[in-house]
Amino acid sequence: MDKNSQEEFTQIVKFEPPLYKQRYQFVKDLVEKYKPKKVADLGCADCTLLWMLKFCSCIEVLAGLDICANKMKEKMHTLSPLPVDYLQPSERSLTVTLHHGSVAHKDPCMLGFDLVTCIELIEHLEESELKKFPEVVFGFMAPSIVVISTPNSEFNTLLPGVKLFRHPDHKFEWSQAQFQSWALETARCYDYSVEFTGVGHPPTGMEKIGFCTQIGVFLRKYPQTGKSVQSEKPTEAVYKTVFKAVYPSLKDEKYLQKAVIREVIFTAEIIKHRFMSKREEYSDDPERKPKSQPSMDYFSDYLGKLVIEKNMEPFVSGNEVYIPLTTIFSCPKVKRLCGTFEKLCKLIAGKVTLSSDGSAVMFNIEHENE
Amino acid sequence: IGLQVSSGLQDLCLRDRGGRRRDFHDLGVNTRQAMVHVQESKTGFSGRMIKLSTNHFRLASRPQWALFQYHVAYSPEMEARRLRSALLFQHEDTLGRTHAFDGCILFLPRKLDSKVTELFSRTRNGEDVKITVTLTNELPPTSPTCLQFYNIIFRRLLKMLNLQQIGRNYYNPSDPVSIPNHRLMVWLGFTSSILQYEENIMLCADVSHKVLREETVLDTMHSLHSQVGEERFRDACAKELIGLIVLTKYNNRTYRIDDIDWDNNPKGTFRKSDGSEMSFVEYYKKQYNIEISDWMQPVLISQMKKRRGNIQGSVALIPELCSLTGLTDKMRSDFNMMKDLAIHTRLPPEQRQRELGRLLTYIQKDDNVQKELRNWGLSFDYKSVSFTGRVVQGEKIFQSGTMFEYNPQFADWTKETRGVPLIRAVPMDSWLLLYTRRNYDVANTLLQSLFKVAPSMGIRISKPSMIEVDDRTETYLRVLQQRVTPDTNIVVCILSSARKDKYDAIKKYLCTDCPIPSQCVLARTLSKPQTIMTVATKIALQMNCKMGGELWSVEIPLKQVMIVGIDCYHDTVSGKQSIAGFVASLNQPVTRWFSRCVVQSRGQELVDGIKACLQTALRNWSKWNKCLPSRIFVYRDGVGDGQLNALVNYEVPQFLDCLKSIGTDYSPRLTVIVVKKRVGARFFAEVGGGLRNPPPGTVVDTVVTRPEWYDFFIVSQTVKNGCVAPTHYNVVYDTSQLKPDHVQRLTYKLCHMYYNWSGIIRVPAPCQYAHKLAFLVGQSIHREPNLMLSDRLYYL
Repeated sequence: MDKNSQEEFTQIVKFEPPLYKQRYQFVKDLVEKYKPKKVADLGCADCTLLWMLKFCSCIEVLAGLDICANKMKEKMHTLSPLPVDYLQPSERSLTVTLHHGSVAHKDPCMLGFDLVTCIELIEHLEESELKKFPEVVFGFMAPSIVVISTPNSEFNTLLPGVKLFRHPDHKFEWSQAQFQSWALETARCYDYSVEFTGVGHPPTGMEKIGFCTQIGVFLRKYPQTGKSVQSEKPTEAVYKTVFKAVYPSLKDEKYLQKAVIREVIFTAEIIKHRFMSKREEYSDDPERKPKSQPSMDYFSDYLGKLVIEKNMEPFVSGNEVYIPLTTIFSCPKVKRLCGTFEKLCKLIAGKVTLSSDGSAVMFNIEHENE
Repeated sequence: IGLQVSSGLQDLCLRDRGGRRRDFHDLGVNTRQAMVHVQESKTGFSGRMIKLSTNHFRLASRPQWALFQYHVAYSPEMEARRLRSALLFQHEDTLGRTHAFDGCILFLPRKLDSKVTELFSRTRNGEDVKITVTLTNELPPTSPTCLQFYNIIFRRLLKMLNLQQIGRNYYNPSDPVSIPNHRLMVWLGFTSSILQYEENIMLCADVSHKVLREETVLDTMHSLHSQVGEERFRDACAKELIGLIVLTKYNNRTYRIDDIDWDNNPKGTFRKSDGSEMSFVEYYKKQYNIEISDWMQPVLISQMKKRRGNIQGSVALIPELCSLTGLTDKMRSDFNMMKDLAIHTRLPPEQRQRELGRLLTYIQKDDNVQKELRNWGLSFDYKSVSFTGRVVQGEKIFQSGTMFEYNPQFADWTKETRGVPLIRAVPMDSWLLLYTRRNYDVANTLLQSLFKVAPSMGIRISKPSMIEVDDRTETYLRVLQQRVTPDTNIVVCILSSARKDKYDAIKKYLCTDCPIPSQCVLARTLSKPQTIMTVATKIALQMNCKMGGELWSVEIPLKQVMIVGIDCYHDTVSGKQSIAGFVASLNQPVTRWFSRCVVQSRGQELVDGIKACLQTALRNWSKWNKCLPSRIFVYRDGVGDGQLNALVNYEVPQFLDCLKSIGTDYSPRLTVIVVKKRVGARFFAEVGGGLRNPPPGTVVDTVVTRPEWYDFFIVSQTVKNGCVAPTHYNVVYDTSQLKPDHVQRLTYKLCHMYYNWSGIIRVPAPCQYAHKLAFLVGQSIHREPNLMLSDRLYYL
């Protein structure tokens, strides 16, 4: 199933951008429109669509399913988090899972999705599989939206070299009427509405032929199913998980805590640095200019226009310098991460050296500059 | 501009066509065959035996294992590699599921039925394609191509273990160490290479740490702006950022920052591969759903290495979307930061082996990895190789008729030589001491301490001209111009801050225009009463060397020998200037050195300059000894991975040429030894069931050396924490007729002769001197220092 190899119909019709890209863009636009949180791609092949979807910030769960494990494995590593995802964990959570299995079988891991995409999938199904397909997708998975795309056989006459089907693995290719009657019947049966569209416009004057790829967008008419229906469903897992990646996210307390500690210590260091350099008497170095204009001062950028009240000033006692937590909390970035002052205290407890009453970050300055 | 998405396959492909892939392991260089006297054996014999283990693991393959290399041709010709691959693997029934294919060359673990196999595929446009798969090679396990192939397969395994590739190595992202006060994150990872060693093909694996920065390039720019102000901002950015490696937010590739385009910004456009123009803002939004928040930031430029001809030129990167990796020079010089880092990166032997063991356990336990290995008919020993090495005896240190033995465990004789006269003490009859008003007390403390320590070393010291200056570079230079006379022995400057520009200006003036030895001391170093005597002792010794003094010696049994050390410094920041330091011994006990350097100008090879250096060195040697040396040893440091071939085939002949040019009847014995500090091998002494660092003087010349080379390892230094790194010595040319044992011993002796450290160092002293010289010239002086200074160690 090499869906991505270039469909360059040089002689009669040429699509720009290539048709497969247009299909993926269609899905991306749909995601932008409906903002689904959980998306599954059935027949995900080499995971290109999933890779594109992982950048959509609304999606928190992505799943792929394919009958060919090798095809998925080829490039599944592109779905892993990148080093930068660990360096700067994102606000949203994201889990990507790949399953090896058939769309003719039900598996509970496919429940609860908002959008299920079947891009150039159904024409690869054997007759027996195609029969079970509606029950699995619309009856069992029952997502709020289903997208199905498939070749429009009426368009084939415009494609050079296509004799019977566009791909040797295709079991059938439908005309517009065939696809639409199948889709309408399926929609009626499982209480969905369906709208037809497509990508790959026919040449002018031949509009009747329809899109090169025909697409059906199914919307579920009834609200989220209750528990009663779910309980009837089989819970036995039949798919094999071949890949799972959990992206670092600030929703995860572990990463949030790390990020907060990092920000607290860094902010405290900056405040300490500024405080100490103010205190320190400057050398006899005439080349050193006085600390530059406040407008260019990094601290003012970083901390915003902070009004530090008297009781929030850092102070020195013995060999220690103290930076009050309230001062650190007034830094917008820290505030945004923690939300509340109480949360801040809770997250850094035991991880950052604090004064005995826990109200300030404490630094030892005895061995400074060694 | 080709903004490419990383593709797994591309990293796996064998790019050995056209010679573009660098031969990192110098595989094809066979130097031992030309040296008859080490054909039979290249091992030494002296010293006591020591049981060692290492970080090498044997690779085993089935008996009669071979790798089958096929050429794959398409008719009609198919351009796209993806398509070629897809068409070929429609025939997995014939070819099998285990394969490696780069678009042209196919590797299979088994032989196909016939030499030429014809396959027929059909493209999606219904075009029929004939694929001809022709057997071109049956590779034995030890062939260079096979070794390259093993390395590729091993990297594939690491990827399967979900390790992240950064640069050349693989790292585990799941359990990073965070160092929040420096905004650093450290990832634990592994380096790996599979090579043919003395008797076996082995995997050499080591723990590697990747330092990543928890800030973007834009963050760094912001903080630079606040530190240096508007005026110096662009220069500061260039200095800080150019040469650094960045990771991008959207793909898994690393880029080197080569330039910053201040005239461009994210609103600027670039030409996509399909020819259309698009702005960066639009592109990142469309492609990755990333909103660029700062539209005024400049754009980073990274030059692409040439790749298969179709993509070249440069890539533009947005600072906001780039994270920094690694450390800058500024960070490296931050003592506190390095101390905090060392806690996490300097693993003691036991812990290091434990981490490695974890990697091998992952490999052993992972089903997919095991399946892949099985399919290729390969397997690893999961226990590292152990063998015996030798610890050669410690050297005796001679200083003015006195002989010392040092404690071999510490490899240091600071205590033993305290209060003993130096071999040659140069008097300080006329010298200058420059200080600022604020440092008046410090200057006096230094002076008093020097008066206390110098006499016991035999250094006669008079009162200096004490000159108070204000802390301006111009003032320093003016004072130097007015007060330095030809009789001045040395100039000492006490600096208030570690500002490089001031230091550079002083050094530049006193090394070129007015060649007088100089000593700069940071006031802070002198401010602690409890350490002042130690510091003063060190400064006195250092100044003595800078003025041409000699400290100690070891016994060098060879007569009429000249020892040469060469090292290179590559300036990555300002221009592409390279500098070679060249140091050659002048006297029999090898306590005096002749030092020169080569500043490479554009379009000129360093080696031409080195040849000239060797000529003058020989002339000087004959002036000192009234004859020419009959033996020359060249210790060549600074040879990068994959450059050995060039060194052997170009540099060594130049040395020979140079010797020939001295006279027809002159044919000294020449030995050229390539010194390498950065090696993957680590050795551990097995002591009482535990692992320790091997003691200094440990020599390894079996099992983990290479059969095609005359090479050995020496562990000469000690480390306080972490694992000691052995130094690799590769004798690439040798007409000395000396036994390997003698070459090893001589090398170890020379590690005792670096006067800036009263102990044993990692490399032979001439290499370290050459390094010091090249570094000073590259960092501060930028042109060749005055030759008047060449007979002393003014650069220490």
